[in-house]
Amino acid sequence: MSYFFQLVVSGIVVGSIYALAALGLVLVYKSSRVLNVAHGQLIAAGAFITYALTVMVGIPIFFSFIASMIITFFIGMLVERVFLRRLIGEPIISVIMVTIGLGSILDGLIYLTPFGTENFSFPAFLPQEPIALGGVSISWTQLVGVIITFLLIGGFSWFFKKSTVGISMRAVSDDQFGSMSVGISVPKVFGLAWATAGLSAAAAGCIIGNITGLNFDTLHAFGIVVLPVVILGGLDSILGAVVAGIIMGLIQQFASGYLDGNWGLNGTGEVLPYIILLFILLFKPHGLFGIHEIERV
Amino acid sequence: MSVNTWLATGNFNTTYKQEQKTFFTSLDRSVFTFFLLILFIWPLIFPLSNKYMLVIDNVLIAIVAVMGLNLVTGFAGLISIGHAAFVGIGAYTVASFCRTIGDTHVIITHFWPVMIILSGLVGAAFGGLIGLPALRLKHLYLAIATLSFQMIFQWVINFMSFFNQGQTISVGRVFWFTGKIGRKDHYLFWYFIILTVVVLLGFGIRNLLKTRYGRCLVAVRDNDRAADAMGMNPGLTKVYAFALAGFFAGVAGALHAYLYRGVGFESFTLHESIGYLAMAIVGGLGTLNGSFWGPVAIKYLDLGVENLSEILGHYTPGMNLATALKPFTFGLVIVLFLMFEPRGIANWWRIIKSYTKLWPFRY
Repeated sequence: MSYFFQLVVSGIVVGSIYALAALGLVLVYKSSRVLNVAHGQLIAAGAFITYALTVMVGIPIFFSFIASMIITFFIGMLVERVFLRRLIGEPIISVIMVTIGLGSILDGLIYLTPFGTENFSFPAFLPQEPIALGGVSISWTQLVGVIITFLLIGGFSWFFKKSTVGISMRAVSDDQFGSMSVGISVPKVFGLAWATAGLSAAAAGCIIGNITGLNFDTLHAFGIVVLPVVILGGLDSILGAVVAGIIMGLIQQFASGYLDGNWGLNGTGEVLPYIILLFILLFKPHGLFGIHEIERV
Repeated sequence: MSVNTWLATGNFNTTYKQEQKTFFTSLDRSVFTFFLLILFIWPLIFPLSNKYMLVIDNVLIAIVAVMGLNLVTGFAGLISIGHAAFVGIGAYTVASFCRTIGDTHVIITHFWPVMIILSGLVGAAFGGLIGLPALRLKHLYLAIATLSFQMIFQWVINFMSFFNQGQTISVGRVFWFTGKIGRKDHYLFWYFIILTVVVLLGFGIRNLLKTRYGRCLVAVRDNDRAADAMGMNPGLTKVYAFALAGFFAGVAGALHAYLYRGVGFESFTLHESIGYLAMAIVGGLGTLNGSFWGPVAIKYLDLGVENLSEILGHYTPGMNLATALKPFTFGLVIVLFLMFEPRGIANWWRIIKSYTKLWPFRY
C-alpha cells in the first residue's frame, strides 16, 4: 500500500510541475489564442539563466530566481513584439509554425552555449535527506517545488480574477473589438500575456531544474510533454491546467509504476497520456474545462 | 477549343470540360513535356556522385510526402503534426514484410511496385483511422490529436521487438528487367522511379482538385458549416483528406525504405513531421507547385548549412556547429517566411509568371 501512496505523491509532484509548465501556455492562449510550442525552450532558458546567475555570477539562488523571472519576462515581451505582433489574425497553422520556428531558433542559440550539450545541476540549498512519513518519502526540493508551484498558480488565478490587468486580459480573450472600444490596448495585453508566460516559464524552469537536474533535452521536451496536459485541461482554463496536470502526472507515475516491467512493457509513462488524451477528446472535444465555442456561419 | 491559344488575357472557359483540362494551351503542354524530358535526361548526361544523387532522391521523396500533407493541411485546412508517422507506416509496411518473409524474398525484390502501392494503401487505412477524430475535433485540438498519433507511433516502434525496437531493418536490393540493381546504379535507378511517382501523383492531385471532391475540400476548409449547408459532407471530406494524405505518405515511406535499403526509427520522428510542415509552408500552403518548391528549398538549405558549418568548423575546433546552426537556420527560415511571405515560394512563382506574361507592360 505504501508503494501506491508513494506513486500518488510522486504523481502529484510531477503533475504540479506539469501544471506550472502548462500555466504559461494557458496564459498566452487565454488572451491571444496562440498555442506556444516554444514554451519548452523558454523553460530551459529560464533555468539556464538562473544557473548562470547563481553559479557563474554568484548571486544567492533566491535572488537569481527572481532575476531570471524578470529577464524572461522581457524575453517574452520581446518575442511577442518581434514575431507574434505581425501575425495577429493569421490562420492557426501560421501561428503554430511561428512558435515552432521560434523554438527552433532558441534551440540553435542554446546549442551554441555549453548548456546545450552538457549536464549541470543546481547547488543544493535545501536539506538533502528526504522527509519520510509512514513509508512515503518526498525530498525537500520536491516539497518546496510543489509549494511554490501552488503559490504561483494561486497568484496567477487571483491576478486573472481580480486585478484590473487580469480582467482586461480576459476581456481581450473574450472580444477584441469590444475591449478596444472600452479603452483596453489589445497589443499591450498580448505583450503582457507573453511576458507573464515567460515569467512562469522561468519559475517552472527553476523548479524542474532543481528536481531533475539541468539537461537541455529534458527541459525543452517539456514544451511538447505539456501539450496533452493543456489540451486535456481545455486550453483556456487555469483550473483545467492544474487538474489535467495532476491527472497526467498520476497517470504517468501509475503507468510506469505498475505497467512497466510487466508483460514486457516499457516506457508506458510517456505514451499513456497521449492515448488517454485521444479517448477523452472523443467524448469532450474541448477538453475537460474548455469553453465550447459557438460558431456561426 | 478556345480561340485564345495563349490564354494571356483572361480565362474564357465556357464549359466544365474546358475548365477541367490539365493544360489550357498547347504551349503549356509542350513546355511541360520539354521540362519533363530534361528532368529525365539530365542525370544521363551529367552523372552526379552518389552523395548528391541521394540528396536529390531525398528531395523527391519529401515532395511525395509534402504533396499529401499539402492536401490535408493546405487544401482541407486540417493541421497534421503527425505526417512523419504516416510516412513511417509506409516504410514499416515494407519492413514488416521483410521481417516475416525475409528481405530478399521475391515479393520484396521483384514485385516492389506492388509493395509501394500496398504501403500507400496501408498508409491510407491508417490515415482514415487517425482522421476519425476530425469528425469531432477542430483546430488545435485536432492538431494535438495528430501529435498524439505521432507519439504513439514512436512508442510502438521503439517498444515492439517485431520492429527491431527502432533499429534498422534491412530491405533487399530490387530487380529491374535488366537484372539486379547494383550499388553503382542504385540511386540513379531510384531517381527515375521516384520521379515517375512524383509526376503521376502530381497529375493525380492536379486532377483531383478539379473534381467535385477537390472543390469540397476547399469549401470545407473555408467554412465547414456553410459547406454542410450546401449539401457536402464535411466529416467524410475530412476523413478522406486524411486517408489521401496517408496514401501519399505511405508511398513516400515505401520509397524511403527501398532507397535507403533499410528502415530505421529516426527518419520518422516528430522532428521530421515538423520538417514536412515547414516544407509545406515555405513552399506555399494550398498550392500544388508549393509542394515542389518547399522540399527543394528546405533540403537545399540543410545541405548548405551542413557545408557551411563544416567550413566554419575549422575555426572553432571542439565544437559541432551543425547542431546549433541547423535548428537556427531552419527556425529562422520558417519565421521569416511566415512573417514576410506567408503564401510561400509559390507566390514568387506566380509573380514571376505574371510578370513574364505581361512584359513589357506592368499590368
